[in-house]
Amino acid sequence: MKVTFKIWRQEGPEDKGAIRDYEVDGLTEDMSFLEALDHLNELLVLKNEKVIAYEYDCREGICGQCGVFINGRAHGPHDNMTTCQLHMRSFKDGDTIVVEPWRAASFPVIKDLIVDRSAFDRIIEQGAYITAKTGTAPEANAIPIPKEISDNAMDAAACIGCGACVATCKNSSAALFTAAKINHLNRLPQGKAEEHKRVQEMTYQMEIEGFGSCTFTGACEVECPEGISILNIAEMNARNAKAKLLG
Amino acid sequence: MALNPLFFRKTLVAGTGLFLCVFLVVHLSANCILLLPEDIARGMYNSYSTTLRESPLIKIVAYLLYLSIILHVVYALLITIRNRKAKPQKYVMNHAHQNSSWSSRNMGILGTLILIFIVIHLVNFWARIKLGFGDAVALDVDGNKDVYEVTYSLFHNIYYVIFYTIISVPLAFHLYHGFKSGFKTLGFYHKKGLKIIAKVSLVYALIMGIGFGIIPFIVYLK
Repeated sequence: MKVTFKIWRQEGPEDKGAIRDYEVDGLTEDMSFLEALDHLNELLVLKNEKVIAYEYDCREGICGQCGVFINGRAHGPHDNMTTCQLHMRSFKDGDTIVVEPWRAASFPVIKDLIVDRSAFDRIIEQGAYITAKTGTAPEANAIPIPKEISDNAMDAAACIGCGACVATCKNSSAALFTAAKINHLNRLPQGKAEEHKRVQEMTYQMEIEGFGSCTFTGACEVECPEGISILNIAEMNARNAKAKLLG
Repeated sequence: MALNPLFFRKTLVAGTGLFLCVFLVVHLSANCILLLPEDIARGMYNSYSTTLRESPLIKIVAYLLYLSIILHVVYALLITIRNRKAKPQKYVMNHAHQNSSWSSRNMGILGTLILIFIVIHLVNFWARIKLGFGDAVALDVDGNKDVYEVTYSLFHNIYYVIFYTIISVPLAFHLYHGFKSGFKTLGFYHKKGLKIIAKVSLVYALIMGIGFGIIPFIVYLK
């Protein structure tokens, strides 16, 4: 299988960057998309050229490290899938595949396809934790939690922080990510004590990081590998309003 | 505690937007008087508009309405400017149509068209009837300002009829996305409820779009 990659190359944050074409032969349909890029990099090494920088870790769709814009979609042509789970069988022989880094003012490009997502970490630091005594792990059933609530909390907790929501959003809004992190804890009894502080400080951090506002286009929930529902954002808005009214 | 200026702005745009949605229902209902036979419609329409102008309660609502339009426009503009700054570099290839609707991505353009319409619409009616610009409005047999005549003569100009009809298309698209999203922005997150709201939003947008678009034509054909 032979494809033409059009890949964004950028030396560093200050570099202007541009799309470069690479014709790659010898690929198979069974290769993952990242393996195809690995293959291209091996060819570049043999030609003594600089390899393309891209992020990955587990390659099992659970870590949230990989993530690039492929042919006009975050994580490629399929809904709700990570880049590493995309395989070359999703493309045809002779296809042109455009690969770009996430685009957002709050996600500056570090090199080629790698962006700095530390804005997410700073949102997390504002309250995506609970305050609890350290020491021996508490007994698992000490706090009874109805199954429906724990399931809902787990649905939000599934967010892997890949950044596809920000990348695909026309406003580069981080609302889906922030909402998932807030709702995960605010839905649980363990998170109740700090619920108002959490929602206000995390959403405030989201704003000062320079992310845009959510206008409910719904693109984020289509691209989210974990299928986090956009209703989380509406719930975050409700929690924020409640926190502002009740302190 | 954190002020959340963006949260405040969005809440304001959604709140004023939904208020304007309610206003449109009242506006369209009143427009339906124009569909009646002329002898009934003229008296009814004129006495209705006189009642509106003279009611102190409506006066308060009117000021609330002007304020809502201004706040909706100003804050939507501020949000849009910031949103654009948040994505300074566009993608070389972006298939946004595969994950979101066109109207949801173009609320700014749709809103701008509606704003242009509102300005022209206010010049056509509000400025003439309320502020007294242009030709004086005659009185009807009951001594009310003949607003029916103002409407009737305007909608016998085919260019205005076409303009009013065409503009109802962006209005419908703007309302379709705005109505259902407004609820989410204001924090309504009941799944089944939102599914119903999405359907209501579609019906609402269709009624408003078709209603406001077709009435000028019917008046033209009268």
